[in-house]
Amino acid sequence: MSPTPGAFLRVGLLLLGAVVIQLSGLGQLRFLGGHFDLIPLVVGGVAYYAGSVPGAATGFAAGFLLDLLAAQTMGASSLVLCAIGYGVGRFRELRDPSHGLLPIPVGAAAAVGWVLAFGAVSFMLDVGTASVSGLVFREMVVTVVLDTLIALPLFGLVRRLIRPSLAVDPLERNRRRQSPRESGPLGLRGMEV
Amino acid sequence: MFDRKTIRRRRAALVAFVAASMVLITMSFSGGGPLGAIQRGAQDVVSPIETGANRALKPVRDLFGWLGDSFDAKDDNEQLRDEVAGLRKELATRQTARRDADQLRGLVGLRRTDGFPGATNPVAARVIARSPTVWYSSIRVDKGRSDGIRPDQPVIAAGGLAGKVTQVSGGSAQVTLITDSSSAVSAQVVPNGANGIIKPEVGKPDDLLLDFVQKGRRVRRGGTVVTSGFASDEVKSIFPRGIPVGRVSRVDLDEVELYQRVHLKPFADLRRIDFVQVLTKRPGARAGVPSP
Repeated sequence: MSPTPGAFLRVGLLLLGAVVIQLSGLGQLRFLGGHFDLIPLVVGGVAYYAGSVPGAATGFAAGFLLDLLAAQTMGASSLVLCAIGYGVGRFRELRDPSHGLLPIPVGAAAAVGWVLAFGAVSFMLDVGTASVSGLVFREMVVTVVLDTLIALPLFGLVRRLIRPSLAVDPLERNRRRQSPRESGPLGLRGMEV
Repeated sequence: MFDRKTIRRRRAALVAFVAASMVLITMSFSGGGPLGAIQRGAQDVVSPIETGANRALKPVRDLFGWLGDSFDAKDDNEQLRDEVAGLRKELATRQTARRDADQLRGLVGLRRTDGFPGATNPVAARVIARSPTVWYSSIRVDKGRSDGIRPDQPVIAAGGLAGKVTQVSGGSAQVTLITDSSSAVSAQVVPNGANGIIKPEVGKPDDLLLDFVQKGRRVRRGGTVVTSGFASDEVKSIFPRGIPVGRVSRVDLDEVELYQRVHLKPFADLRRIDFVQVLTKRPGARAGVPSP
């Protein structure tokens, strides 16, 4: 992703929209004790298409906004989300994945990382010695499952929004790299030769 | 795949973001400094957008709520019938007791104090955002300093204590719920008057603990727990006396422990709050405990 003012504006508006929707709407939608969590998916989506450094920067900015607007301990979400953005971005850079369904496991991994790491950080910083119910873990599992369900469309939406700012769109590049199936001799058309 | 310069730059970026996060955490714990003012300013700017988003997403929230309620409706109905029958009996007993108490108070010349709701002036507010963590710790409402909201004012929802105001900006206020790990509310079980401190079991918003209740005090299932409005020369509870908190659901009697642990189900549904009332102080109200 090129660090242009347009790219900053796009990602900034995307994050602001995601944080506002999360705090004002989705965070209050309870389903089997859990809730949808857009934030790790949006950070994971940007990192997946843009790479590790933009992913880490997006994670830091998303966490900063979230802590600012939810009046939480500043820096706690930034710490976890920048690590998630960096991790997802590195995965894309090292493995260069091209499968169309890959956002599902990537989104699930981002959600797992978020609920576990943020749970641990906020427990250490804010909860301290208070007794914690086992229901917290059930809620974490439900949240991960719900996030996994919406990962594919959400990654698609993120890609569509940041595509003009991407220096290289990994999906387009992988599509172009595939050898055209109709190029072989007539009898071998459709076969990988 | 990458040259050394790229690798170095990438690692430096990660270290810079982690270091910046640690600096923010340290600043938060060392009193906040300018961070608190920035937080309040940002909340003021964003609260109109959040109010709009909250209203726009209400139909979706209602749909999810309706689905959840439909599953629980039958059980709730039976439970509520039993509760109404119990409350009718209780009402008759309480009316008699109140008449007796009024007469006795007149006989001994005891000054009547204004607790809840007498000393309070409720301000209704809409919940516009809630903390995204699993710890159910805070919500934000669309009323602020300009509506008379001040820090430490009690907040109720659906007739039960929900929390207290912890941060106020011009047009919105942050409410820390009683399920937050830092919360502790002095309370008593009525009618027998057993006193204790309500603490949350973090992550379980429908089960609170009334701790430090003396073993000798017999607490029965179904008893109502209200704020005790405890006050001494040095400290005073911020919650006025008599705010209903919940109903006793279970009592743990451990032979080893000095105190009994009373579990209660809060009256306010802390997982799903759309509206709350902030109890601002009524001008001229007398709060506190009876003078000797």
